[in-house]
Amino acid sequence: MADGGGLGPKGGSVVVPIESTPTLRATVTHLVESAADGEFSAIHFVVFATWREGDPEAFDREASVDRLLERVSTWAEADLADVDDVDVGDVAVATTVVGGDEYLFGADDYVRELVAYADDHGIEHVVLDPEYTPVGNTTLLQSLEFALSRTDLVVREAPVARPTRRERLRKEATGIRFAAIFGLSLAFYLALGDPFYPFDVVTGVASATIVAVTLSRVSLDADPSLARTPMRLLRGAVYVPALLFEILKSNVVVARVILDPRMPIEPTLNRVRVIVGSGLPVTTLANSITLTPGTLTVRARDGNLYVHSLIPWARDGLFDGSLERWTRFVFYGREAARLPTPRERDDVGIFQGPDATEEYPGARADGGSEREDPSAASSAANDRDDDSDTADGEVTAE
Amino acid sequence: MIDAIAPVRLALIVVFGLCGLFFTFVSMTGVLRLPDVYSRAHTASQADTLGAGFTLAAVALAAGWDGAGFKTVLLLFFIFVTNPTAAHAIARAAFEEGIVPWTEGDERR
Repeated sequence: MADGGGLGPKGGSVVVPIESTPTLRATVTHLVESAADGEFSAIHFVVFATWREGDPEAFDREASVDRLLERVSTWAEADLADVDDVDVGDVAVATTVVGGDEYLFGADDYVRELVAYADDHGIEHVVLDPEYTPVGNTTLLQSLEFALSRTDLVVREAPVARPTRRERLRKEATGIRFAAIFGLSLAFYLALGDPFYPFDVVTGVASATIVAVTLSRVSLDADPSLARTPMRLLRGAVYVPALLFEILKSNVVVARVILDPRMPIEPTLNRVRVIVGSGLPVTTLANSITLTPGTLTVRARDGNLYVHSLIPWARDGLFDGSLERWTRFVFYGREAARLPTPRERDDVGIFQGPDATEEYPGARADGGSEREDPSAASSAANDRDDDSDTADGEVTAE
Repeated sequence: MIDAIAPVRLALIVVFGLCGLFFTFVSMTGVLRLPDVYSRAHTASQADTLGAGFTLAAVALAAGWDGAGFKTVLLLFFIFVTNPTAAHAIARAAFEEGIVPWTEGDERR
């Protein structure tokens, strides 16, 4: 659907990442007016896909995004017709969905997709809807504006009236997310206290209200689904004993390594590309990996988890992907859990040590090689060798 | 109270308590012995998972399957959610600061 690309004679093109917000309508008007003033010749409205093709819920989400984009182009057309200006015919409006082939975890990922799209279409400007916060990118994480400031794109926020903070909270207060967080907090509180003791009930309602008001925007990035949640909880109950067993097994192995000075440790940082959704699924997986001794999730970026492993045994377990399959089982069901291991998919990489297959990544998303410790980068690159015992774990550097 | 507990149950409580103690000891050894912030974060999580896990199992057995035992299970659940979150926060902060994980041959830090 991206058919409005190309640089116009007067202004450049602008890309606007959107989602359904209270200020979206005003943002569209602002953009059309700016374009009519000759600032832009083409406006690209993009939505980041929060699903991957083949996810069970992909179809529904795609349909709702299509409706959003259709609404936006209708608005833009109406605004263009309202502006009495001969130049308006030159303004091209494009709407498109980007990122459908990957899960996007954080601000870095969104910016990378946005920069790639801008490069493809010769775009130099970004205008942000002031209320825009991509799904899965909660207020606790690094802001999109900050991540964008490290790119070459010219960024500004659309000067449209924001609803006040109070209105926003009241809007959330009626939401199903608020109800879910409130109910869960109250149930937990009363389980610890006494549900039949009035004092506990009153303090519980007060505490749950505070929790829900402050955290319902942060904790959930989508409305909980009544259809799916009970099944997920049931499957989660199956997962817990399996996870406990994994933890027990790894604990014994790691305890031996720690207590016996003859057994050397061989810590490395690794990369594994995981096929789970952003938000709760990837958090569950990353937490499970960290709970298992010997593996520690350091970073989620570009659809990859960066995992530090203490011993090669733990790393092999990670590359076999049993926790990834379990997470997919919990969130998407038994069918979704049948997939090749990350090792078979070539979705793994080792950054350090004698088996290293890839360069050590910088701390920042955009390359970042200038910031990292030079000695470590060279040791990771030089230590590459072809030991036969690494043959099955070998992947080529990207 | 103690003499009301059957010998098997008492033995289980002692075994679980000792297991908890053992894994907490391993975790402490690891924090002292391992070379850098990342590997120490690994072993710190052991104290919380099996160390606290076995200890709380002992507590739940001693308290019985009424209110207190149930609360112990909730407490364990809470630890299992918060512990990896904290470990990840530490590791991620170290990574963002540009600290490269220790590999064989490096100095201890």
